[in-house]
Amino acid sequence: MENPSNLSFDARVDRLNKIAQELRMHVVDMVYTAQSGHIGGSLSAADFVAALYFDLMNLDPANPGWADRDRFVLSKGHVCPIWYAALAVRGFFPVEELKTLRKNNSRLQGHPIATYLPGLDASAGSLGIGFAQAVGIAMEGKLMRKKDYKVYTVLGDGEINEGIIWESSLAAAKFKLDNLVAIIDINNLQLDGTLAEVMPTEPIDEKFRALGFDVLKMNGHDMADVLTTLMKAKRACSGKPTCVLAYTVKGKGVSFMENQLDWHGKAPNEAQYTQAIAELKGAA
Amino acid sequence: MDFAAAKSPTRKVFAERMTARGDTDSEFVVFESDLAKSTYSYIFKDKHPERYFNMGIAEIGTVASAAGMAAEGRNVVVCGYGVFITMRALEAIRSFICYPHLNVKFLSSHGGLTAAIDGVTHQATEDIAFMTTIPQMKVLVPADSASAAAAFDIALDTPGPVFTRLMRDPLFELYGPGESFKLGGSKVVRKGKDVTIATYGDMVFQSLLAADELAKQGIDAEVIDFYSLKPWDQATLAESLKKTGALVVAENHQRRNGFGYEAAVWTLMNNPVPTELIGLEDTFAESGSYPITIDKFGLSGPKIAAKTAALVAKKR
Ligand SMILES: Cc1ncc(C[n+]2csc(CCOP(=O)(O)OP(=O)(O)O)c2C)c(N)n1
Ligand SMILES: [Mg+2]
Repeated sequence: MENPSNLSFDARVDRLNKIAQELRMHVVDMVYTAQSGHIGGSLSAADFVAALYFDLMNLDPANPGWADRDRFVLSKGHVCPIWYAALAVRGFFPVEELKTLRKNNSRLQGHPIATYLPGLDASAGSLGIGFAQAVGIAMEGKLMRKKDYKVYTVLGDGEINEGIIWESSLAAAKFKLDNLVAIIDINNLQLDGTLAEVMPTEPIDEKFRALGFDVLKMNGHDMADVLTTLMKAKRACSGKPTCVLAYTVKGKGVSFMENQLDWHGKAPNEAQYTQAIAELKGAA
Repeated sequence: MDFAAAKSPTRKVFAERMTARGDTDSEFVVFESDLAKSTYSYIFKDKHPERYFNMGIAEIGTVASAAGMAAEGRNVVVCGYGVFITMRALEAIRSFICYPHLNVKFLSSHGGLTAAIDGVTHQATEDIAFMTTIPQMKVLVPADSASAAAAFDIALDTPGPVFTRLMRDPLFELYGPGESFKLGGSKVVRKGKDVTIATYGDMVFQSLLAADELAKQGIDAEVIDFYSLKPWDQATLAESLKKTGALVVAENHQRRNGFGYEAAVWTLMNNPVPTELIGLEDTFAESGSYPITIDKFGLSGPKIAAKTAALVAKKR
């Protein structure tokens, strides 16, 4: 991978935008091939996942277990297509393997299982439990090993309904986990409807501030904003965990999927697949 | 064997019956935790919104709040995925619903490997062990539409907690509309004299496929659908085993602590016969298509037939 720190800020943004579109195309392709999987929340997370994996995180694909690497936990594990795509394109495993998503004998399970694939730092799929694991990973890094690698975790805005999120947040504040960065993908849709319809959760910023987090906000699809905000999160050393509110659009990048509840967990047919790829290519 | 393909999965039929009962019975309520499209509880919501509560993605809270309402005397149906309600909310179910014997009924979808494609985190393959082990809990597993609709009626009309395991995908219709079902009942779906295959849920169909295969080999298998797993129909099993003298239990569940362990221990204590238990052999399954996955893990008709034939050979 080219070293992004040699590039100007604008060049980094351009590069990441292109990568994010490439990841989106892989997501659509994987779910189409499997005829099963979660596109909507993968596309909403694509931009900040690209920024983390292709610019900000310290990683070594040739040595996925490198002790000092930054960690990443996809707590909303159903959107693992975007995680798998990022890992493959970043070189953790062959890109061709993406086609095996959800198939028998594949390492790309329907929900991510840590030991199955290089680069997966924790298993997920049952909402809430990934975040609690991220807190444990951050405790090990900061309190036991006394290292300064970061632990990034991505949560759904519906996922934060789960009580375990609030329990583990209290612990993150108690243990002053400023190595923990929790990104909440605020696409305003969960499974049965909008947040307001299913479980009113706003104001999310005040809730996390009250829990003891430093709260940052970004437009999750404005790469300059994403990069600036996540660089700030990366530098955090205030003694508080960081919570980044990413305002996003579920299904981002494919016109007929954007903001559509239906596209939470649906596979495209051939015509939809062709149109989706064309739209993503056009924007790339 | 010739059965009509089912139009709806059992999870949907159960929710439809729940909605129809809601038209005449305004006393029960429905709790959901953000899976209304998967459990089909949205059908009830559309009809009876004032008696429907979506509690968000929060299984422990959903189940414990259902216990609270039930403690006030109301019947509550809690809808969810088998893995999430039985495991996340297990303590609330055991100590705060079953122990005080409250009227909470569970619509538990995606039982066994019927959710194969989503992977292990979404496959309820230990639910029968957990639910049948808790005192006071009743457990039903309908195999088709008629028995799924009946299961809702049994659940609502039986005092105390009742758990119903349902399937993700439509299979086949085994029973006509006139058929009757009861708590503790079973159905002999195929008569035979050489071996008894005791089974439930989607494995009834696989066992019938196995029986067809066995018939070609000159083995006449009896297949019994134990749609009521707790309590279960010991008299019918005893009678069948008197005739066949060999028992196979086939289930889409861990073999350990499943219905097979229950039935095998019971026969051991009463009238031991050569026995084979078919289920997941102390392993997790994987993501994949339902037919390939059940075959890979030894639960398909041909795999059941092979194990049954081996057992019958031993008996002879
Ligand atoms: C414990 C648990 N309960 C329920 C589910 C089923 N489920 C999968 S995704 C989802 C909605 C998630 O919404 P959100 O967190 O907002 O994710 P996104 O919009 O980013 O896809 C639900 C209820 C689950 N995976 N885990
Ligand atoms: Mg969401």
